[in-house]
Amino acid sequence: MNVAWWCSSTPGQIWTWRYTPFLGVWMMSAVFIGGYLWAHRRAGRSVDPKLLRRWVFGVFALFVVSEWPIGQLGVGYFATIGIARYVVYTFVAAPLLLAGLPDWLVLRWFPQGTRRRQVLGAFTSWPIALLVFNAVLFGTHLPVTIDTLKVTQLGSFGVDVLHLGAALVWWWPAMQKVPADNHIEEPLRAFYLFASSVLMFVPAAFLTFSPLPLYGLYELAPPLWLGFDPIADQQAAGVVMNVGGGLVLWAIIGVLFLRWASQREAEDTAARRTRDAATLERIRALEAAQSEEALERP
Amino acid sequence: MSTRLRGLVWLLLAGVLATACGPASATAIAAQGLEPGPDGWRGLPLERERAMPQATLEDVDGNEVELGTAFAGTPTLLFFGYSSCPDICPVHLAAIASAMDTAGVSYDDLDVVFVSVDPDRDTPERIEEYVANFSPRMIGLHGDIEVVEDALAQLDLPGPIVEGPDPRGEGDLIGHPAQVIGFDADGQALRTWPFGARRSDWIADLPRIVEEWS
Repeated sequence: MNVAWWCSSTPGQIWTWRYTPFLGVWMMSAVFIGGYLWAHRRAGRSVDPKLLRRWVFGVFALFVVSEWPIGQLGVGYFATIGIARYVVYTFVAAPLLLAGLPDWLVLRWFPQGTRRRQVLGAFTSWPIALLVFNAVLFGTHLPVTIDTLKVTQLGSFGVDVLHLGAALVWWWPAMQKVPADNHIEEPLRAFYLFASSVLMFVPAAFLTFSPLPLYGLYELAPPLWLGFDPIADQQAAGVVMNVGGGLVLWAIIGVLFLRWASQREAEDTAARRTRDAATLERIRALEAAQSEEALERP
Repeated sequence: MSTRLRGLVWLLLAGVLATACGPASATAIAAQGLEPGPDGWRGLPLERERAMPQATLEDVDGNEVELGTAFAGTPTLLFFGYSSCPDICPVHLAAIASAMDTAGVSYDDLDVVFVSVDPDRDTPERIEEYVANFSPRMIGLHGDIEVVEDALAQLDLPGPIVEGPDPRGEGDLIGHPAQVIGFDADGQALRTWPFGARRSDWIADLPRIVEEWS
């Protein structure tokens, strides 16, 4: 049993609004962006500004929710901000990072016929990806996981890595074309993404409707101001997961579906045009043949 | 050093730095609540008999309160803390107040008493405002530091200690005992709840306090 008999507030545990940079977060962000540019340079490829922009926005999203104050408030003080961090990691940063990765870089990191590629292929087939994502979603939101892991820096970092890793695996079949076998298109893709948004309602409902605080970490955290109840915080966390996560995801599903639909329409139009041109050609040839036949007739 | 090994070393370094310099919990301890004892109580039994201290304090209206007699006839939860406390005091008091509501325990059947260990800053007005954040029915008391120290000593508890400046700029941080002590209606201390007790623990124990200690 882990309890305290003496109230001794160590300065590191007392919240102040004095800026406290997390050097590790700055460094990881620099590694993400520097590594991306270095990989291009090493391959002798020029950077596509559109892809770079997506990659940088993805890193920026990670940075904002990991750095002070959101990182600290989410890990140690408010369940609402903790869940908001998860939503950003999963539904903003991960898809942006994947959208910023050029196919050639993926092929370079995961060359055909290597073990790495086999592992990637296994994890990014959509049923496995769905399983991994939901296992991490449920597993990392269990009270015992939060109360055990998030109380240490290593554990907290591990949970963040798990969230980002599972989100990348989950988005992969919906966004990346490498390996081509695992890539899914509408309507399966819409179902795949929608299924997860529905499953997410389960932990969100626990958060919203539990009459008691589920997480000791947030229940026993120092209050930033008096009168703010951990149960209200938990209910807000459930709403953020449900509504915030759901809205972002459904917006993405909508955009992907519309893009797919317009792409299909463009393909159909092009095919129709080709077909129409060929038909016209045939008609003209037929007419020409008939004219010649008429001329040859005595 | 091969390229792969060098890459691994860099990755390891990055991981160590990210781990060491990232956010972590602010909770004072990695608490997961109290475990129920063989008798089902979450609060821990006291090893030695203790009675409600004989000490004369003042309530927020300036009335003298003799601890030993004022709460006789009603089970009482007694906690020593201070209103500028950044973590344990407000968390403890909020948990008790919330659990009283949830368990349907009335303040008529159980006195919850907060005694300030910081007489310099905790004026009657400030104590009144502070306890009202949790429940206006909680009782806030204060007195000279010598009286408070004597009351703590009668409970075999150490007195408050000034631990240095509060980084929020609110004077000094004060170390003090973190447990809530439960007394029956005869003023005998029976159980104690250290910091780490959660609402679920209080919800389990409060109805039993009223039922078995009255």
